[in-house]
Amino acid sequence: MTVFLGLVIQSTLGVDIRIAGVHPDLMLLLPIAAGIAGGPEEGALVGFLAGLSADLLLPTPFGLSALVYSLVGFAVGASTGSLAREFWWLSILVAVAASAVAVVTYAVLGAVLGESQFLHLDLVAMIAVVAAFNAVLANGTVRVVRWALTPGSSDRRGASTLGPGW
Amino acid sequence: MPKARRSRRTLTTLVILVLLSLSVITLDQSGRTHSIASGVKSIASDVFSPLRSGVNAILDPIGNFFAGAVNYGSLEQENRKLQATIGRLRQEQSSRTFDARQLAELQKLLAVERLPYLQGLPTMMAETVSTGTSNFAATIRIDKGRAQGVALNDPVVGAGGLVGQIVESNHTTSVVRLVTDGQSRIGVTFGHSAQATVAGQGSGNPMTAELVAPGTKVTRGELMFTNGLAGAEYPPGIPVASVSSVRTGSESGQLSIVVKPLADLSTLAYVVVVQWSPTP
Repeated sequence: MTVFLGLVIQSTLGVDIRIAGVHPDLMLLLPIAAGIAGGPEEGALVGFLAGLSADLLLPTPFGLSALVYSLVGFAVGASTGSLAREFWWLSILVAVAASAVAVVTYAVLGAVLGESQFLHLDLVAMIAVVAAFNAVLANGTVRVVRWALTPGSSDRRGASTLGPGW
Repeated sequence: MPKARRSRRTLTTLVILVLLSLSVITLDQSGRTHSIASGVKSIASDVFSPLRSGVNAILDPIGNFFAGAVNYGSLEQENRKLQATIGRLRQEQSSRTFDARQLAELQKLLAVERLPYLQGLPTMMAETVSTGTSNFAATIRIDKGRAQGVALNDPVVGAGGLVGQIVESNHTTSVVRLVTDGQSRIGVTFGHSAQATVAGQGSGNPMTAELVAPGTKVTRGELMFTNGLAGAEYPPGIPVASVSSVRTGSESGQLSIVVKPLADLSTLAYVVVVQWSPTP
């Protein structure tokens, strides 16, 4: 449900907001938030779900977002531990760093799959816009995702795999 | 011990997800199974399309309010131009109903542009429902699909010239790859039967004309048209781009040509799908 809601927001509001020709990637924020709120396994699972859903509506190779988002969700969960829960500002930093890594990984893997033009795009602008929006929305999304992962318990990190909110 | 077990389970989950993702990518990339992946995308798009339209109908006024607040100056200027155009159109169309007038305005748009290059080819007007769903691809989605006769690879034109090509045809919507997309390659002719390939370099980057024979005379502002050679993906004579700059490589003598699309890709409210298939 959360992924579906994210997809609706991304494909309506998200693609209409453009800065330097780049729009935010709100679907990427879901695995980042899941990694922070639930840990690496939840991050990877949410990343796969969110990526595959996003891929359904994207003209780029099917499955590429699923792969990148899974890796990013896992990496965020594995690297943040419980620190991001204790320091609210750490979620913002993690969102910025993970967004940058995700954009670059997407471009590189896309190039490997034959979409060499991905590397010629203005990746700096893309990273700046995607990271800025994800930084602003990070804390709110972490709360929503934490609720979706463990309904009834607002701060049990890693207490469950995907809860009924998904 | 439970921590180690959980850690192992997490890694297993990641490996499974990565393998699943790679399988999906392989399905999409393989020529034999591509139809499965595109079929799934097509169904998802058709299911999602009405929902997206509904949400857009609700959210557009809110978005327009904020967009208007941010771009007030340019909107005011644009508004003045539009008012002048509306006034002129009203004079010409005053005897018609609103729907008829709207239709006539669109037809007038085509008539003004003349589109002589279509030369009797069957065409279909379509409205753009969304632009650029991915930061990595220059595409638009239009409100016509297979049900209306839109086929894969149909050329799409707009005010000024070639806009792109249909790369995904769903039941009621289609995706158009714009000429500026990094995957776009168009065979063109210019000058005295010179040939070139106009290549998109991704949204926001200038297009280039490649594979120009050394010694070919190219001047700034020169127009390039689809060449329609055997096996070409576009009918001949569609205006594609104009030359912005020409440089000659100091050592190789190879021309470096930057071109600009003739179609105004920033305002693609309506486009025309040309129902044309290349001759085998």
